[in-house]
Amino acid sequence: MSEGKSIIYVVDDDESVCRALSLLLKSHGYRVETFTHAVSFLEYNHPKLPSCLVLDIRLPDINGLELQEKMIKQGINIPIIFITGYGDVSKTVKAIKSGAIDFFMKPFTAATLLDAIVLAIIESKARNKKQAQIAKIWRNIKTLSPKELEVFRLVTNGMLSKQIASKQGTALQTIKVHRGRVMQKMQAKTVTELIQFAQKAGLTSSLS
Amino acid sequence: MTKSTIIKYVKAPLLKKETRSNLEEKVRQQTDELKVRSGQLRQGADREKLAEEQIHIRTKAMEAALDGIFIIEAVNQRFPIIYANPAFQKLTGFAKNEVIGQDYFLLYGADADLRVVDEIKHTIDQGQSFHGEMLNFKKNGKKFWSSLRITPIRDTKGSVTHYVGIQTDISLMKQRDLEIEEQREELLHVTRVGKLAEFVSSLAHEISQPLTAILAYTQAAQRLLKDKEPQLQEILQYIINDDLRAAEVIKRLRVLLKKTKPVFESIDTNALINETVTLIMPHINARNKIIKFELDSKIPLIEGDRIQLQQVLLNLISNSLEAMESSPESRELLIRTSLKNTNTIRVEVKDSGCGIPEENMKKLFSHFFTSKPDGLGMGLSISRSIVEAHGGRLEAENNPDRGATLYFTLPVARKENW
Repeated sequence: MSEGKSIIYVVDDDESVCRALSLLLKSHGYRVETFTHAVSFLEYNHPKLPSCLVLDIRLPDINGLELQEKMIKQGINIPIIFITGYGDVSKTVKAIKSGAIDFFMKPFTAATLLDAIVLAIIESKARNKKQAQIAKIWRNIKTLSPKELEVFRLVTNGMLSKQIASKQGTALQTIKVHRGRVMQKMQAKTVTELIQFAQKAGLTSSLS
Repeated sequence: MTKSTIIKYVKAPLLKKETRSNLEEKVRQQTDELKVRSGQLRQGADREKLAEEQIHIRTKAMEAALDGIFIIEAVNQRFPIIYANPAFQKLTGFAKNEVIGQDYFLLYGADADLRVVDEIKHTIDQGQSFHGEMLNFKKNGKKFWSSLRITPIRDTKGSVTHYVGIQTDISLMKQRDLEIEEQREELLHVTRVGKLAEFVSSLAHEISQPLTAILAYTQAAQRLLKDKEPQLQEILQYIINDDLRAAEVIKRLRVLLKKTKPVFESIDTNALINETVTLIMPHINARNKIIKFELDSKIPLIEGDRIQLQQVLLNLISNSLEAMESSPESRELLIRTSLKNTNTIRVEVKDSGCGIPEENMKKLFSHFFTSKPDGLGMGLSISRSIVEAHGGRLEAENNPDRGATLYFTLPVARKENW
């Protein structure tokens, strides 16, 4: 089963709810980790695997929405399914807007939860893939020399080699050499691809 | 001078020396007596004049008084009216000749509250003073609330001869009291409904937890028994069905008690505070506490639900009063408004009471948390949800010297909306 590698985190202050959800999800082949406090979830060393967080919106230490904010800050990029025993419409809207996958009123059926988990795992894989890509781009960027980095920035912001040469007062030939090394180190086949990398790394707008 | 007088005069020296001195003595005595008597007469006349003047002034005063004044005879059991000032005539709508000689109690009209009338009769039958408020009827049948005092007048022997009554129209005051009472009732109702809704919401949450667990346990068992034990499978399905039935009941209850949508309007926070304090003033007075204000008149309008925000203020004020209950020397309650920044105003309710123990600070705003023996533990949690629904924050802190301050922020109304 492909979901066998996925981890489902359950954070709910009610131990019995944690245990029951754990049994249910394990019976469907998932790996499950449960926490009764938000803090212990944050401190947990999350493996780089497709994951999903089933989160009670009201917790004794910090509430689910605050946990969501903390996760974003700490770079824990795990899709969230909110669950609640309260009929709280405004919080639902806020949670969904901040990127929650879904929101369920307690109690909910297994089918409801499982469907949402499937979606969350797909989302998680996509996020992980994107994250891995970005990480790889940054690893490559870090191998550039200061001169190459400058050329990388100017090229990805749409400047031609000739313009760069005249701007820096350097020979065109020298710029072309730098540019060739940038393409090589960044593992880019075309300039278009190089620009995409810069965009993914969030670098294009910094000079324009 | 006549002849005989002359003779008498001439004869006089002829009287015996003894007799003459006796006579002289008599004349002197009589003259003195006459002098005293005429002095007495003069004094009597002066006194009479003075008394007349005083009576005149007193009568004028009674006639000029704005309160209705009347005198009834006590000896006669009909209690006839022997005097009624113009204000009384104006108040009751009866002319002087319609009042004088009439039985006092006939004037109350047929619609008067008989219990009060009986109470008055009973009190004055005992020769005591009566003071009370009652609904009276004018000659034309129009109702008015009157504050009435009847006091006995006694003669030198101490027996009651008359009663003097003073009557004031307090309809306006009464009307205002009624309005305040109505507002208070309305607010109490909102609070009660709010408390119930919060209670049901908390209860629903408490019940939904085990229902969630039961459902998940059962569905896990169902999964584990897949294609096995058909009888057990059936039982598990029944458990699931009943779990969902219970969930449905909770859901319906929630819909039933769904709080009415708040009505947002533009609100002058300082005016709202004044209004609210008027409502709770009797409680503040009854507890012998003082309320002080530091209201910044320049704070902008906010947008909010008037009743809900009043509820928050009332809650904070009554909490403060309760915190100061146990110590009579803690008397001062301060309400302060200020501009926190251009977009936010701040409202503080500061007391000089017992303060909040550090261990209670965190739980202060949770449902069912209370430090009071008869508290529900809903007030502050409801207040916080109201303030948060208005886009503000409600917080508590202990003062450096004594007591605690509860304060909330509210966003300033956005100008383009008004």
